[in-house]
Amino acid sequence: MGVWLDGTGTGIPARILPRPASYFLQVAALFPWAAVATIDYRAQAFVCGKDEWEELDTRPYFPIDSDDKENRFNRVMHFLRDNRKTMNALDAYLVERHNSGRSDDGIPRDRPIGGIRVLSLRIPIPSPGERLQRVGRLPLSSYPEDERKFFYHTLRSTLAERCGERLQGPS
Amino acid sequence: MPSVSWRIRDWLGEPLPVLRLEIVRIGAPLAILGFASSRLEHADEWIGDAGFRVPDLGGDWRQPLYIPPLDSWAAWTVAAVMVLSAVACILGIRTRPSAIVLACTLAFVALSDRLAAYTVTKLSPAVMLAVAAGGAGARLGVDAYLKRKKSGKRPKIARPSGALRFVQLLVVVIYSASGIAKARGDWLKVPLVLWSHVHDSYQTGISFALASVLPGWVWTALQGMVLAFEVLAPVWFGLARTRTAAFVFGVGMHTMIGLMFGPVRWFAMLMITLLVAGYMPEQLLEPLEALARRLEPQSP
Repeated sequence: MGVWLDGTGTGIPARILPRPASYFLQVAALFPWAAVATIDYRAQAFVCGKDEWEELDTRPYFPIDSDDKENRFNRVMHFLRDNRKTMNALDAYLVERHNSGRSDDGIPRDRPIGGIRVLSLRIPIPSPGERLQRVGRLPLSSYPEDERKFFYHTLRSTLAERCGERLQGPS
Repeated sequence: MPSVSWRIRDWLGEPLPVLRLEIVRIGAPLAILGFASSRLEHADEWIGDAGFRVPDLGGDWRQPLYIPPLDSWAAWTVAAVMVLSAVACILGIRTRPSAIVLACTLAFVALSDRLAAYTVTKLSPAVMLAVAAGGAGARLGVDAYLKRKKSGKRPKIARPSGALRFVQLLVVVIYSASGIAKARGDWLKVPLVLWSHVHDSYQTGISFALASVLPGWVWTALQGMVLAFEVLAPVWFGLARTRTAAFVFGVGMHTMIGLMFGPVRWFAMLMITLLVAGYMPEQLLEPLEALARRLEPQSP
């Protein structure tokens, strides 16, 4: 009954049950909306010294299902891109992971980063009959500007602080 | 004219093949393990402190419960317990406790990491509790083999099973709710909803090939068929006359979902398991019945 009431959009289980209980009832409302675009989420990092934004491959830091949208980075963006606390935590996590130099993420390991900005790619869905291309991951630079939508970026003061500390710190 | 309560009592009291619940006991943990395999491989990132964790959002609706990350050793322990309990359940070893432990680990990981939780993780605890409550493990398993060997008695082939009735209802409820959600969403307004979902990272070689050759009207027709099947599922599965056709359509639909939407294949497998257990015509159970008999020890 709870599954049905939740799936049909009554909102009753969420109103009367504790959140963990109603969460387990949210299993039926699958794909009710048409996709308006193919959405992928990406990150760029501010490279200290170069003062430029470059694409940061997040997959080494989110290895579960790294090549599809069930990846946890995609899920953070899907659910919580407008939640400042989560985005700040994501920012700190990615900066720490890159600067620890343990993985190849598209930016040289010896180049520290000061922050991130994250965006969605909104790739138009083709019409039936159009010539199709297999879905695959292309570099961010392959997508036109109007298909990119930025959600979050590290504050400039934080970028300066992180990069400045590194530049001025002991070598 | 029997009252509604008597009809329900009759329905619940009707003997059903024991093997049906054994199908859930074996098939559901296989689908769960398949789904969880990519997560289990990185258990310390999934539920431990080695990966990114969403901070405590203090009651935000998107975080049903905040559970702090586990130490890596504890995360790997939970993963090992999940795998062992699933394997024990599949083999029918200490089936009831195995199913309960598996249900608990599934509930834990679903709450611990909202990011990697999907329908399979949210639905499975209830399915595994039904397996435990229904006394699965009576046939086609190690427990059943040892019990038969010890007692020499033949196991019951059929008995009333509230757990199996739960599985049957669950399938219909999910379809019905899903169909109504679709009808309230875009499925009656936008002719190419189904088409719109085959162009992201779920895409497989099969969905790409079908998208390349099928004209738009076929996608709209498939969309209409899925919607009609789901919205009217209580009718299709409720009437004996349409039940087998509904079963065949459901299995076909989930097979196509599994083939066309890569990572969704484990959800498809779970739903096919529930459909087969709940609604496969009894004559199709006969080969499984024969297998179960062959695997039972001979009477002394």
